[in-house]
Amino acid sequence: MVPLWMFLLVAAALFCIGTFAVLSRRNAIAILMGVELMLNAVNINLVAFWRYGTPETMMGQAFTAFVMVVAAAEAAVGLAIIIAVYRSRKSVVVEEVDLMRG
Amino acid sequence: MNVLNEWAFVGVFFALSWALPALPIVAAVFFSPKKANAIKLQTYECGVETVGDTWVQFKVQYYLYGLVFLVFDVEMIFLFPWAMAYERLDTFQFFAGIVFIILLLDVLVYAVKKNVLEWS
Amino acid sequence: MGEFDLLSSLPAIAPEIGLTILIFVAVLLDSFLHESQRKGIAYVAALGMAALAIVPIIPGWAPEPGPTGDYLFWGGMIRHDALAQIFRIMVLASGALTCLMAVDAKRVGNKGEFYTIVLVATLGASLLSASADLIMVFVALETLSIALYCLAAFKRNDSKSTESGMKYFLFGAFSSAIMLYGFSLLYGFTGQTNLYALAQFMGTEAFANNAVPVLAAMVMVIVGFGFKISAVPFHFWTPDVYEGAPTPVTAFLSVASKAASFAVMMRFFIAVFPNDLVIGDYVIQNFWVQFMAAAAVISMTLGNVIALSQKNIKRLLAYSSIAQAGYVLMGVAALQATTPLGAERAVASVGFYLFMYTFSNLLAFAVIILFSEATGSETIADLAGLNRRSPWLALTLTIALLSLAGVPPAAGFFGKFYLFTAAVEADLVWLAMIGVLNAIVGLYYYLVVIKVMYVDRSEDEDKPIPTSQTYRWVLGVATLAVIILGTVGAQVIFEWAVQGAGTLFALLPGVF
Repeated sequence: MVPLWMFLLVAAALFCIGTFAVLSRRNAIAILMGVELMLNAVNINLVAFWRYGTPETMMGQAFTAFVMVVAAAEAAVGLAIIIAVYRSRKSVVVEEVDLMRG
Repeated sequence: MNVLNEWAFVGVFFALSWALPALPIVAAVFFSPKKANAIKLQTYECGVETVGDTWVQFKVQYYLYGLVFLVFDVEMIFLFPWAMAYERLDTFQFFAGIVFIILLLDVLVYAVKKNVLEWS
Repeated sequence: MGEFDLLSSLPAIAPEIGLTILIFVAVLLDSFLHESQRKGIAYVAALGMAALAIVPIIPGWAPEPGPTGDYLFWGGMIRHDALAQIFRIMVLASGALTCLMAVDAKRVGNKGEFYTIVLVATLGASLLSASADLIMVFVALETLSIALYCLAAFKRNDSKSTESGMKYFLFGAFSSAIMLYGFSLLYGFTGQTNLYALAQFMGTEAFANNAVPVLAAMVMVIVGFGFKISAVPFHFWTPDVYEGAPTPVTAFLSVASKAASFAVMMRFFIAVFPNDLVIGDYVIQNFWVQFMAAAAVISMTLGNVIALSQKNIKRLLAYSSIAQAGYVLMGVAALQATTPLGAERAVASVGFYLFMYTFSNLLAFAVIILFSEATGSETIADLAGLNRRSPWLALTLTIALLSLAGVPPAAGFFGKFYLFTAAVEADLVWLAMIGVLNAIVGLYYYLVVIKVMYVDRSEDEDKPIPTSQTYRWVLGVATLAVIILGTVGAQVIFEWAVQGAGTLFALLPGVF
């Protein structure tokens, strides 16, 4: 069987890619995609830990279901906000959205 | 271990089935001559040239529809376990699921009343 | 967790059930009422939340230890103790006052969705202050956050509002993803999701020689909570979001979200990293206490210093709220106290401070909403001559600011007094000293605003600011609360908070 650490490695790599996207991208949509990657890394972590650690309880799976639903809700709200920003600014580049400073 | 050995064949087969088609594609990248010109770099859309700017703005209705669909679609995750365990639910668990469905219906009524689902 | 008993479990989530029913009703009302009648939803929501806020005070509804004797209900998701009740009262009260404050706000008050989303945010905050499980903490935190993203961007044609919503969303989603990764690690290390079960598993042999993974998870969790309470270094979003969001939202954001996050943060660190958790040679508690103390110092100092140069009153209050988070973190750091009483008093001082901060800050924002709705301005200089325009408004804002500054007889004095005492009792004298110095700096910029209102002159002094009947109620209730908490009520509420803190520690195996 594939050992646990391999799953954790994939998850960690995914998390780092997501973090990198959030920190380096200037487009709000791309940042949102980075956040989604991070959440999926968490999901891999949770399911792997559940399968190898405590398959007799359902906590890991339940947690994953909640993470997925919350991620979807977050994406829905985030996209709606980004659309609203785009309609008033014609841009979703984070640095160009800077009415307030200080 | 026996079972694993049997599955190992599937794994080998799987790997081969990826490698064989991949080999010529990768080889082509290295060996084929590269002569790019305007016609070659054109977007291939079934031979029909694109008309106008492809970066058109969609109606906001489209996004609303999409967002409402997304949320309702994902909420179904919670109904799957409920449906799977339906035979074994006690009264409280049954009604907990019903309350969830009623809340979803409440939001659906809201969406209909606010004309989010109108498509015109 | 024992056998599930519906009737004894229901009181544990009574406020949440009530809020869910209110949300259900509000959505229906919003769907079927005519546009001109939708302001009525505000009164339904506010009265409902006010009623729910009173429920925990009714003697018969005091939290019972429950069938298993550990205050845990609903499979360990909820810990129904007295401290959760205190924070629920704060959250529900601020929700009710926010709804009433929004009624007359342009482009906000006549939208039914606003009240629905405030109710959802209150539901999240209320659950958050009682949650005792990683899953519950996450779901409650996101219910609160997602609702607040919507609220911050609520004026969708106003580019400042949408900008603040986007900034809040991007920072919030990022920090909550980091926190969630920490949660997944904690779950992986122990196989448990219940906060009160985690510590027992982390103390076992498997971790005997390696504290690093646990510390990494702890830091990730601190990022998530640090963002919600806007502590430095996770404060970047605060000024922009406070300035851009519709003012009633800023008011709600600065009190309810912060109070609930502090509640869950204390519960989390006391339960998951208690003072008897030793991994290898490290006492884990030392790490987070030192982190809190450092964050307290930086937040107080940075918030106060930058606030000195602000021109916009909402930005001023944003930086002041960063500083206030620093004061409260002082109380959290005081949890390192070595006696049970010291730790209980630390928790109680945090509870009391947030209780009085809720009302003081809401009061300040209520006056600012009135002022900016009437004049369209949010700059401090435009407050000139407010005393001659509307003496009562000037007086209320003065009381609120004095309370935030910590001047008696307003409530803030006792809030700071208890916090500093708790810090001193926990051998953090240096921290208390820095706190006192910062309070003096803070006093300066609050007094500048008061001076502008009373001494400076303006041309509009003959135009009083119209105040509706609803608003007079809001101002009256909040002022009364601030004065009572600063005089006769201080001792009562503090004793109650000490009692609540007792139940927070109660039945934790081996903490004291």
